[in-house]
Formats: sequence, C-alpha cells, structure tokens
Amino acid sequence: MQRRSAIKQVAVAFGGLISLPAWASNWTPESIGAVSFLPASDEDLLGELVETIIPETNTPGAKSLKVHQFAMRMIQDCYGEPAQNALKQGLVLVDQTAQQAYTKAFTACDTPQRLEVLTQMVNASDPAAKQFVELIKNLTIQGYRNSEYFMVNQLKYNMAPGFYHGCVSVIK
Amino acid sequence: MSFLNIDSVKERTFDAIVVGSGISGGWAAKELTGKGLRTLVLERGRDVKHVTDYPTTMMQPWEFAHLGQMPKAITDANPIASRCYAFREDAAHFFVKDAEHPYVQDKPFDWIRGYQVGGKSLMWARGTQRWSDYDFDGPARDGFAIDWPIRYADIAPWYSYVERFAGISGNKDGLPQLPDGEFLPPHEMACVEKHFSEQMAKHYNNTRPVIIGRCAHLTKPQPIHLQQGRGQCQNRSLCQRGCPYGGYFSSNSSTLPWAAKTGKMTLRTDSVVHSIIFDEKKNKATGVRVIDAHTKETKDYYAKIIFVNAACLNSNLILLNSKSTRFPNGLGNDNGLLGKYIAFHNFRTTISAEHEGFTDSITEGIRPNSSYIPRFRNVFKQETDFLRGYAAGFGANRVMNVDTAGMGESLKTSLMETKYGNWRVGSHMMGETIPKETNYVALDPALTDAWGIPQLRISVAYDDNDEKMIKDFHEQMTEMLTVAGFMNIQTHDKPDKAPGLDIHEMGGVRMGKDPKTSLLNKWNQLHTCKNVFVTDGACMTSTSTQNPSLTFMAITARAADHAVKEMKKGNL
Repeated sequence: MQRRSAIKQVAVAFGGLISLPAWASNWTPESIGAVSFLPASDEDLLGELVETIIPETNTPGAKSLKVHQFAMRMIQDCYGEPAQNALKQGLVLVDQTAQQAYTKAFTACDTPQRLEVLTQMVNASDPAAKQFVELIKNLTIQGYRNSEYFMVNQLKYNMAPGFYHGCVSVIK
Repeated sequence: MSFLNIDSVKERTFDAIVVGSGISGGWAAKELTGKGLRTLVLERGRDVKHVTDYPTTMMQPWEFAHLGQMPKAITDANPIASRCYAFREDAAHFFVKDAEHPYVQDKPFDWIRGYQVGGKSLMWARGTQRWSDYDFDGPARDGFAIDWPIRYADIAPWYSYVERFAGISGNKDGLPQLPDGEFLPPHEMACVEKHFSEQMAKHYNNTRPVIIGRCAHLTKPQPIHLQQGRGQCQNRSLCQRGCPYGGYFSSNSSTLPWAAKTGKMTLRTDSVVHSIIFDEKKNKATGVRVIDAHTKETKDYYAKIIFVNAACLNSNLILLNSKSTRFPNGLGNDNGLLGKYIAFHNFRTTISAEHEGFTDSITEGIRPNSSYIPRFRNVFKQETDFLRGYAAGFGANRVMNVDTAGMGESLKTSLMETKYGNWRVGSHMMGETIPKETNYVALDPALTDAWGIPQLRISVAYDDNDEKMIKDFHEQMTEMLTVAGFMNIQTHDKPDKAPGLDIHEMGGVRMGKDPKTSLLNKWNQLHTCKNVFVTDGACMTSTSTQNPSLTFMAITARAADHAVKEMKKGNL
C-alpha cells in the first residue's frame, strides 16, 4: 500500500508525464526470498531463538516477521565463513546448554527456561557462547527494527516526506 | 534500406562530438545542440534512461535483502569501489567494479567511477557552491599554482545561466568568499546548526559564517524545470538511486533529454573512446576513434569541434593516448605537462560532538543537504603556516537512543519506546590541495585494459600542507565547538584513507595564459589544437575549497558558447 501511494505521488507530480518502470507493480513482501544453508531443524531452532529475544505479545514477535531468515541471510551473504561456522556451532551449544540445565532440547523448554539458557550462555566462560548470543541478538534487533512491520507501524516511516523542519517541539 | 549504398563516412560525421555524458558532457550536449549543431555524444557505458532505468528508486528499506549492506563476496571483489559511502545495495549498480576497469596505483588512490549515461551525475552528493575571486586569483596571490586565465567576473554570468536551468537551492548570505547565486528557496537549518551559526557570529565577529549548503535540488520548481519534465524534490535523500521526480539535477533528468528534444543529438552508448584523431595537414583534430564496448570493433567519427568530458582522469587518459607525429606525447602536450598537477579535495578527517541542550526540540522530515562552513582560513590574508584553506560540511541531528539491554518482553518494550538522546553534530573537512607536478597520471607502458587501451598509472598523494591543514581543522573546529557549548568532541582522522574517495579529482589539462605552463587557454581550447575543448575537472588550474561540479557546468556552457561563435566565424 505504501508503495502504491508513493508511485501515485510520482504520477500525480507529473500529470502522468513519465512512464512507470515494469518492476513498479511486481513487488511482494516475499520477494526478498528465503535463504537456507542450514538444515530445517537448525532453522527452526534459530526461529525459536529470535522469538525468545523478541517474543510475540499483542504485537508480532521476531519469528513471525521472519527475522531468523534475515539473520541467516546476513550471516550467509555479508558476514563470511567464520560467522557461518559460529552460527552452526552456536546452535549446537544452545541445545547442549539446554540439555545440561533442563535435560531437554531448547525448543522443548518454556519461555523462562529459554531466557535462562541464553543468560547462561552470555555469562559462560566460553567466549564462543557469549559471542554467538550477541551476534544473534544484534541481528534480531536490527532485523526487527528494520522490518516492514516495525518501520511502518512503530517508526511511521515515510520514504518521501516532502518536507524538512529543522526545529520542531518534541511531543511528550 | 539495406540495399542503398550508404556513404559511411558521411554518416559518421557530425558538427560536434562530446566525449562523456556526465555532468559536464551533458551540459556540452545541451549547449551545442541548442545552438543547432548536430552533436554526437559518446558514452562508454550503458544507457540509463531517466526513471525507467532506476531499478531501486522506489524500493523500501526492508525490500533490500541485506538492508543496504553489500554482500561480502562483492566487497571482497571490489575493495576500491566498496570504500565509497554510496556503494551500497541500492546504488552499487551505478559504480564501476574494480576488476572490469583496472588501473595502476603508483600510490594508493581510490578512483571512483560511474560508466553509464549520466556518469557520476546520478550518484553525486549535489553540493553546488560557487567559487569566488579568492579562488580564481588565489594562485596569482599565493603563488601555489599558475595564474588562472579567468576571474570570477568571467564566469559569474555562466554560473547564473546554469543555476537557473539546473535548479540550485540556497540562501543569499552575502559572503565574499562564497558568492550568492540564482537560488531556489534554501533548506532549513536545524536548531543546533542555527545555534552554532549564532555562536560563531558572536565569538568570531562574523568571520566564520555557518550557512545552509547550496545544493542542486528543486525546492520550488520553476517553469524551466517543469518544461524539463522535472518536479519538486520530495525530501527522500535517496538520490544516489536516481530520482524519479527529477528532484535533483542529473544529466539523465535534465540536460540530455533537453538536448535530445532538439533532434540534433545522437547518443552512442557502449562506445569507449580510444583517442582523438589529429590531422597533420589540417593542423587540427578531425574526429574521435571509438572502440565498441562489446564487439571491440574500432570506428572513427568526425566533427569540426570536439569536447572532451570523460571525467578528469579519463580525459587525461584519452589525450595522453592521442598520439601522432605532431604530438608524440599526447594531444596538445608540447610542454610535457599533460597529466601533471593533479589535485583533489582532502576529505580525510571528520569531527563529531554532542550538545546537552535543546532537549525540547527535534527535526522532522528529511533534508538532502547539510549546513556548510565556507573557508575562513587565509581568505583575506595569509595567516597560517599552510597555503589555502578548507570548507566543511556541518550537520546536526537528534539521535534516537535505543535501549538494547535485556532479552524477551523487556527488550521488546524498550525497542518500542521513543527516547531522544543528545543532539549530535558532525563535520567533514573539504581541504584544498596544492596542484603539484609530482601528483600526476601517466599511461602504463605495458598494461592495457580489455579494449587494448593503456591502463592509467595514478601517482597522487597528500603532502605536508595537507597534514598541517588537517591539524588546523582539528584545532579550529575543536575550539569552535567548545565555544558553542559542545561536549564529547572527537576527531576522526583516517591517515590510511587514500586520495580519490573525495571524488573531486581535478587538473592534468589545466587552463592558463601561457602555453609553456598550461594546456588550455581561457576558453578551454587546447593551446595547440584549438578545436578540442576540455571542460571537465581536468581543466582546473587549482581546486578551491568549494565543490567543483557547478564550476564544471558553468565553464562548459561558457566554452560551448565560445566554440560555436568561433566555428561560425570559420576559426575552427
């Protein structure tokens, strides 16, 4: 919808003088595409992890916004091989930590237990555990805050505001 | 049609040829076609049509697979291009990739290029400050370069001419070192920028003005802009993607379509210029040798006048590669100075600070511009131990603080909260560098590119004058920010940042009065080959502290006017 109205603005601005490119009507939220360099079970686990970090309440959580897919894509495409290995090893570590603490898989734990597992990893003597949680947490926050849902509904993002005011009172 | 016996040479003959379709080439095309000349515009890259060839321009941030960040495979393969701030997921397709167009770095130089119709005018940062007499008569006064053959008065009417057509927003500030132009309404300054400006006026007795930058945006389009099919800037600040509104000036949205409308322009894309053809009998240039970017086939095109607007270093390359018996070292290069005296703008350092006040105010909307601190050093007299000075960009923003502590619902709650932090300001230095013979480009004797054209060797570096200037910028800006009540002042010099990333390279084919010390006369004609004009960054005798693009535009329009007059008199 945002996109349509923006395109409409262009057309209105010129009274239809310009021709619209073919891609203008082709976009869907899914066009970013799915990534998969992890086995499905690992992808599920990552989904539960990002959901633990930013859970669903009366608003969507990270998993339903597919933030885990975003995290995977960033690690796969932008972060290089060491980060890809850290991700795979970190996921193993999550389940090991859950097994040690609660003798069950992370995905079988309830929310307080899951949070406890992540806290334990952050405080662990193993730097890899801490770094893994920080990596996933940072990517979760980045992905969540830059999702269409968050930018449109929370940040009221407007691609083309058409103005700039240098001094506006903060609305309390 | 195919059965007709076509006179091939006639078909390849024009009144004028323009090499390059970027910011100055676009102006050459517009002016020459506007004066009735059948003009061939040669572009080495692909066509980029206004709007239809801006594939990312309407994409929302979340539609980019990596939120704008470049995949590692691409940054690894393109270390040079990747250092440019605008080489991001939304605009990387407009930048030259390292491997495709190699060059030799005798000294580290990040050469940022845009090989397509419109060139870098698509991705430029759009600062358009006029130069002043302090810039044009600077060399004569300070003795740091040769004397310019023109003064501000020569070019002032041409500044007005191009400003009115391109659309430049700005405030009339009445500053001798930064002349006012034909402005559309200025952008607003932010509270803290205004505060800084007021404090500077008070503490330095109006000798250190802080103003809103002048930039090529249609803040209020005039009939001439609407006639170009351009509309009002929508404050997106996504300009590097190409603007669907034509809100900022680019060759694609403005000069090239205008030239095309005359019916006199032939635009040939994928045409790599090899050299300019010099005819010994006629004692002038007769055309341009072109290599097809894809088939590698060579073809010659002919014209009475030739405008070289390939962008500074490539214009140098083409002239150096234009060898003949008369000019064995490159066209017009009797004095051996072609390719030398390359200079640039020193963008190596920045400074940042915070202000704890103004907590009841924020900015709203988006501004594709920043405030600007015109040169205040050595303007009216030499007052430091370095030559020339620096201008600076200056911008203030209220930053959103995001509390990322915690995990789970508590984290989510804090992410939803809007908490404003302190005002933060940043400033980047734009220092004038001294044109020196030791800063040069030359043809590599052995290495060639994919089209068999010699690769360019670039040997350009900072000098002591630049180091002194950086130190002074740190000292003066620290003092100025302290005076204005800022805290947490931090300088960020990057000694490893090579020249080139400023994308303000100039010189090599400099203008001057004396053919012994310069390549071009005051009309941008090669002293020794009068029907070849060089009007892009290559022609600059010195570099000023102001952004150079507006001056390239004005010089081009002025030279084109002269060229046509001379041609009609039969002098070319």
